Amino acid sequence: MSLLQQYALLLGMVAATVGLVLSLGAVARAVGRRREEKVKDVPATAGELSPEPVWVRYHVRYYGYALLFLAFDMEMAFMYPWAVVYKELGLTALLDMGVFLMVLFLGLLYGWSQGALRRQ
Amino acid sequence: MTIPLSGSREARPFPLRRLAAWAAARDLAAFIVPGPDVARTCGIDLDAAGVRVAQTPRHAGVLVLVGELPRGLKKAAAVAYAQMPRPRAILAVGAGDVSPLPEPDVWVTASQRELAAGVEELRRLFAEGAFATEAAGFDIEEIRMETEYVCPMHPEVTSDEPGSCPKCGMDLIPRESAGGAGHEGHDDAGHGDTDHDASDPGVLVSHEGHGSNDEMDYQDMGHEGGGEDSGGHEHAERGEHEGHDEMDHGGHEDMGFMSMVEMTQGTPRSSDGLQMEWTGAPFGPLFPGLPGGLSLTFTLDGDTVANVTAPRGALGWDLDGLETAPARDFPDLLALLDPLSPTAYRLLALQALEDAANTVADERTTLERVGALERERAASHLGWFSGFGRLLGYSWLEARAGQIQLALLRAADAEEVARQETEVGKLVRRVYRTPMLARRLKGLGTLPDTAETSGPVARAAGLAKDARSGGIYRTLDFEPVVREGNDAVARLWTRLAEVEQSLKLVRKAGAVCFPQGMLTSPLRSTGSATVETPRGAATLRVKLQGDVVSATELTTPSSLHHQFIGAVAEEREVADALLGVASLDLSPWGVAR
Amino acid sequence: MSVVLVLAALLAGTYVVAVLEGWASTGRLRPAGPLVSGLALLGRESLVPRKPDRIFFEVAPPLLLVAAVLAAAVLPLAPGLIVTDLATGALFVNASFAYVMVAVLMAGWGPDGAYAMVGGFRFLGQLVAYSMLVVMPITAVAMRAESLLTTEVVTSQVSLWNALYQPLGFALFFLAAMAIAFLPPFDLPIAPGELAEGVLAEYTGWRLGVMRFGRALLVLTLALAVTVFYLGGWFGPVLPPWAWTALKTLAVAAVMLSVGRYVPRLREADVLAWGWKYGIPLALVNIFYVGVVLLVAM
Repeated sequence: MSLLQQYALLLGMVAATVGLVLSLGAVARAVGRRREEKVKDVPATAGELSPEPVWVRYHVRYYGYALLFLAFDMEMAFMYPWAVVYKELGLTALLDMGVFLMVLFLGLLYGWSQGALRRQ
Repeated sequence: MTIPLSGSREARPFPLRRLAAWAAARDLAAFIVPGPDVARTCGIDLDAAGVRVAQTPRHAGVLVLVGELPRGLKKAAAVAYAQMPRPRAILAVGAGDVSPLPEPDVWVTASQRELAAGVEELRRLFAEGAFATEAAGFDIEEIRMETEYVCPMHPEVTSDEPGSCPKCGMDLIPRESAGGAGHEGHDDAGHGDTDHDASDPGVLVSHEGHGSNDEMDYQDMGHEGGGEDSGGHEHAERGEHEGHDEMDHGGHEDMGFMSMVEMTQGTPRSSDGLQMEWTGAPFGPLFPGLPGGLSLTFTLDGDTVANVTAPRGALGWDLDGLETAPARDFPDLLALLDPLSPTAYRLLALQALEDAANTVADERTTLERVGALERERAASHLGWFSGFGRLLGYSWLEARAGQIQLALLRAADAEEVARQETEVGKLVRRVYRTPMLARRLKGLGTLPDTAETSGPVARAAGLAKDARSGGIYRTLDFEPVVREGNDAVARLWTRLAEVEQSLKLVRKAGAVCFPQGMLTSPLRSTGSATVETPRGAATLRVKLQGDVVSATELTTPSSLHHQFIGAVAEEREVADALLGVASLDLSPWGVAR
Repeated sequence: MSVVLVLAALLAGTYVVAVLEGWASTGRLRPAGPLVSGLALLGRESLVPRKPDRIFFEVAPPLLLVAAVLAAAVLPLAPGLIVTDLATGALFVNASFAYVMVAVLMAGWGPDGAYAMVGGFRFLGQLVAYSMLVVMPITAVAMRAESLLTTEVVTSQVSLWNALYQPLGFALFFLAAMAIAFLPPFDLPIAPGELAEGVLAEYTGWRLGVMRFGRALLVLTLALAVTVFYLGGWFGPVLPPWAWTALKTLAVAAVMLSVGRYVPRLREADVLAWGWKYGIPLALVNIFYVGVVLLVAM
């Protein structure tokens, strides 16, 4: 199969999955529609009503990790093709990537020492 | 003729619907009010009856009401029932009058056999009545919500009609809040009567934050390319939010340019120096991991608890009947006070009355009482392990401890209790060996050194406080279990050791059934007693007029520990805060007074 | 034709995983359990919370399902039994698992409920923790196979399974797989007991059915990925290849589902700290180790 055909097949699978979900929804709709009642649509919070919105700037505490994650993610994008040709290239490949990984690893260690790797 | 459930779906029962109804009958999930801890203490095991226990009313089809419910819990149960998707039903286990909820579909008493029969009946009702041509609605006063109009910049200015704010002239925007009869202090505005010092600016920030956030929408705050940081994600959705459109216009004209520093000046900062927006979230009274009935609201800063609101007396438990009770009914009435440890309070009442009568029970009776009390202590701690395991995500502990607790409570004599000793020993050893458990709990729930505590909480802080010293306990070679650490893991180790110790005491005492007390006519007009309940020392002082109790003064350990909820939960991640609160082993009934 | 066979096999596998999930949580084996639960869910009302982010709320369940389906589409069940043998198969698997995070975060944000929000953002933290531990072991596996084709990855293990060749990578990928499927002890977004079902809290009726189905399929797909990358895929004596794949996959799924009962839930801070302080150095060591071994073996 050509590449285009493969991706077309995958797209077809996505469409089929979405279609399956929609048809399940249709069947559920045929069984019965939901009855709109008071309080039923307030998010369920342990027996006390809390209808206030919670869409706020959420204060995550792991932003130190997230920044390092970006750096490592970029690195991994380079590692995939390198891994495929590794055996061909031999020792030079190991050394080249070794240097790259070492630099990033030192960055990780630096971040660790500066307190990036903790709950802020 | 189909018998409709109290919460059936209104539709004609076509074949596919019948199939769905049959499936719903086979796959029952229950939401227990006030909580699985009370259900186990009453001796019922829903899992053995074939019903799954759901964590949230949304995933449940049956609302199970266990025992006599106080007013506040009935309201919470009504809210939970309203939030259950149809088809839904109510199963009342040993419950009295449950109005304002609808009539329960099945009534049973608190015994496993009756429960099994009740569940079968419930299945039949579901299969027949999940879809009915006519279905009753559910609209009661308790679940009404009020719409009030509030100024976005000054949240304390509220009004029942639209208008403008007298302070700044902006239009009032509509906001819904949980209103209805009998509503107690909601977190944003009021704080009920809490012993905890809630800092008001912290709560207000949730509103100012909304305003300031929208300001940021319209002004470039000097951050590179203002669209990226917060503009991108949520504001597209925020546009649909009620009232924000008005807020945008109003605030925008008045404010002019404000830098981030100016706008966040004076608002409380989080521990890492950033000021984000806070939201209020209730974690009670029907929260799966906490004792059922504990009313708790956290103001969350992300996933950190910024503020805690825990109103006392939220259950609305009415104990006026105690004040004029005849002395012979008094122990039974006091036993109803706390469904989680009835034996301890019955013993407390009896001992107080005996003190008033200046009599002392004979050794045989005292030994039997010790056996009963210690059996209850072991069962209570096991119930606590089960709830704690549920909070921790440690399913094995949740299941196993619950099973052993039920076996203990159903044991008819000391022999059967002794048979559980090996099981308990295995459980204790297994918990000690659990990987990562000590690490998970270390440092959680620490109390200040000056905190006045009692029971296992005190003993886990290195204080050898135990009301069981002296008298018959000395003849049984009793030593209080003391551990160091004053945190959740120390309390866990303390309770584990106490369970084993209690079972040994039961074996030595040789009896587990509470003997009926014989009361002679009281000679004095006052009596007092202290009993070590499973949660700590409880003290009772009674004043008698002849044969009738005229006044009572009761201090329970939970009312003592309740004030520390704030200290335990603040500035912690929400999971750690919940574990800390759970480690105090509060009984919400003991707090109601 | 093979597409239909693969889809049928996945459906059957998902059903077995759902039965295993029920057995792991209750201790009782109910073969008709998922079918009855599914029908019951179809018959319940499906509620929509007030003022939700409708798009996010509706898209999250199908997206979870799509992520699992796409990942399963590039994994081979037997020689020739694969939907699409993409040349970048191993990378594509990783990419589609990333959509699990999108789906869970959508489910967390959409309903505008307190518990769901906390659950969704905790899962994002979990992703930051486990993401590298998925990618780096796959890189090491691709090094041995000299290709990103998943069929090549399996055939490269004909002499020795990767689980023995690179045990460190196996352990890390196994744990990361449990974290992707938010199985206990990594069930931060669901957290029954701590967050009252967290991101799933506001889903009822058929939408909840789709979420549960998606999660079961995700567990199956992750187990299949572990099998393909580390346990030699379809290799084994006596039985036909597809039977070996099935056996290995279901065994891995059973282990994944049952481990969590006996350990308390891991804190988000701990998952992040351990993932970055121990996990990533170990994953880098694994890559170096595999690199050296490959050089020496030549």
